[in-house]
Amino acid sequence: MKLIELKDVKKTFKDGRKTIEALKSTNFSVEEGEFVAIIGPSGSGKSTFLTIIGGLQTPTEGKVFIKNDKFSELEEKDRATKRFNEIGFILQASNLIPFLTVKDQLRLVNKVEKSKIDDDKVEKLLSELGIDNLMDKYPSDLSGGEKQRAAIARALYHDPAVILADEPTASLDTDRAFEVVEILARETKKKKKATIMVTHDERLTEYCDSVYTMRDGVLTKNQ
Amino acid sequence: MFLAWQEIKYSKTRFALIIGVVILISYLVFFLMGLAYGLAQENRMSIDKWDADGIVLAEESNLNINMSMFSKDQIETIDAYEKASLGVTSSVVQPQEKTDEESKINVTFFGIDKEEFIYPGVIEGEGFSEENEVIADISLRDEQGINIGDELSLAGMDLTIKIVGFTDNAKFSVGPVLYTDHPTYQRIRASGFGEREDEIISAIAVRSDSGEISDITLSDNELNLYSTGEFISNLPGYTAQVLTFGLMIGFLVLIAAMIIGIFIYVLTLQKSSMLGVMKAQGISSKYIAKSVVGQTFLLSFIGVFTGLVLTLATGLILPAAVPYQNNLLFLVSITTLLIVVAVAGAFFSVRTVVKIDPLEAID
Ligand SMILES: Nc1ncnc2c1ncn2[C@@H]1O[C@H](COP(=O)(O)OP(=O)(O)OP(=O)(O)O)[C@@H](O)[C@H]1O
Ligand SMILES: [Mg+2]
Repeated sequence: MKLIELKDVKKTFKDGRKTIEALKSTNFSVEEGEFVAIIGPSGSGKSTFLTIIGGLQTPTEGKVFIKNDKFSELEEKDRATKRFNEIGFILQASNLIPFLTVKDQLRLVNKVEKSKIDDDKVEKLLSELGIDNLMDKYPSDLSGGEKQRAAIARALYHDPAVILADEPTASLDTDRAFEVVEILARETKKKKKATIMVTHDERLTEYCDSVYTMRDGVLTKNQ
Repeated sequence: MFLAWQEIKYSKTRFALIIGVVILISYLVFFLMGLAYGLAQENRMSIDKWDADGIVLAEESNLNINMSMFSKDQIETIDAYEKASLGVTSSVVQPQEKTDEESKINVTFFGIDKEEFIYPGVIEGEGFSEENEVIADISLRDEQGINIGDELSLAGMDLTIKIVGFTDNAKFSVGPVLYTDHPTYQRIRASGFGEREDEIISAIAVRSDSGEISDITLSDNELNLYSTGEFISNLPGYTAQVLTFGLMIGFLVLIAAMIIGIFIYVLTLQKSSMLGVMKAQGISSKYIAKSVVGQTFLLSFIGVFTGLVLTLATGLILPAAVPYQNNLLFLVSITTLLIVVAVAGAFFSVRTVVKIDPLEAID
């Protein structure tokens, strides 16, 4: 099943009199259990592409479908709700909430939807990611790699269909970066997610099912 | 509340400082209010003690009881349910054996009839029965150390009076009241207007059957009837004083709201990228805004209540001469008002929260 599907999606920005075509008309889809990497130079439109899929901005033309629902056509508020339920964002390091412990980062999700925290689920998820011993630590007490694993835990906790990661390894050394990407790949397979990862580092794409290159707003599949 | 409380627990020093400021401001507000109320009470409590519906004064007195003067016989021209004649004069008294300036006391004499309703309840000693005996406000004992049986001489007069009893809540123009009978009052006042045949009084307090002063009729057009409320607000300086304090307290409450509002606003701005991340996660503006407002409520609640407790504690250890007094209604309303305006101040930040773009969280 296609969890993500883009049909003729295009994004232009008006900058004074000229318009910037950040994303040229694009058709694209990701199946469940598929791990996709997007590489490309700075300013080529990778983040624009990712945030349109995540519904943080709307396409100028075309439609985005998440689990076959017309995601991009939803009202702002409904899009936020759908994002909360179906999309997990993993951003560069330091996007954890500084005053919440690792466990409380997950608990926040329960608080928002007024449900009770499932301790077993938390335990299981955190031990899968190898950070169950850090449950009661604040982000400032974690290393870069541990922070990113906590961020992955947070993104996965709500069991979304889609994981969007924008340079999740930017602040990590090579070994940690490989670890984090390996975890992402493993969780994508095991939990049948559709995962898109934007990265600068081509070596990290070895765990991915398919690799795309973005250049000047044009997305092309490698080989 | 989850986010709000976790953040307070995490950044203890920062929030302790904010709460500290709230405590200080609310302490100041409560304390000023206690002083304002106490001072207002010292002006009016002897009047409230009458529990009268209205007061009759001489027409030309312009509502100033010190300028009101008429014959005691004129009481017959008033048709009311209950009437009490009252002579008012201020004076200076001094314990007999003392001569220094320090021991002189400003007092107000109330010349009254023992059978009429102004006659106060005695809480220590007994009522007056002979001439030159007085019942005094208890503050004379608490603040001046004067006891039952002590004799006081009147400044500029060859007259001594004897304390036979004490009553409470008897202050007028911020000084103690001495109650005495009409003949003694006449003698004290005579130093001002010389001997007269008829008895002179200042006012007649009246009660009506229904509590409405419209039920009371006067047939003497030298006299005028006023409601007790109107009389009190025309006490010299009373309204000006109440307004001054009221204005100060009002401004302080506003300043408190602004300070808390600004603190929360700055905190929200500092957190905006983190709030952006939360929005990218799909957490609604409503949830975030609620937690900002909830946090303000927590901070102001803790701060205002601590300020209140401190004020009450201070009230207990203040010397008797400080006119500080608590009033439950005022304490409750100021507490509520402070919290409500603080929370209103937080609504500044709600706009900011709503405007934060989750896109800022990326890059
Ligand atoms: N809100 C905006 N208004 C105007 N131009 C924008 C806006 N957002 C992005 N752009 C432009 O669109 C282009 C693509 O930006 P984008 O952030 O997607 O690049 P990127 O591939 O993520 O770059 P990087 O690797 O540096 O993160 C850039 O030229 C950028 O300046
Ligand atoms: Mg980018």
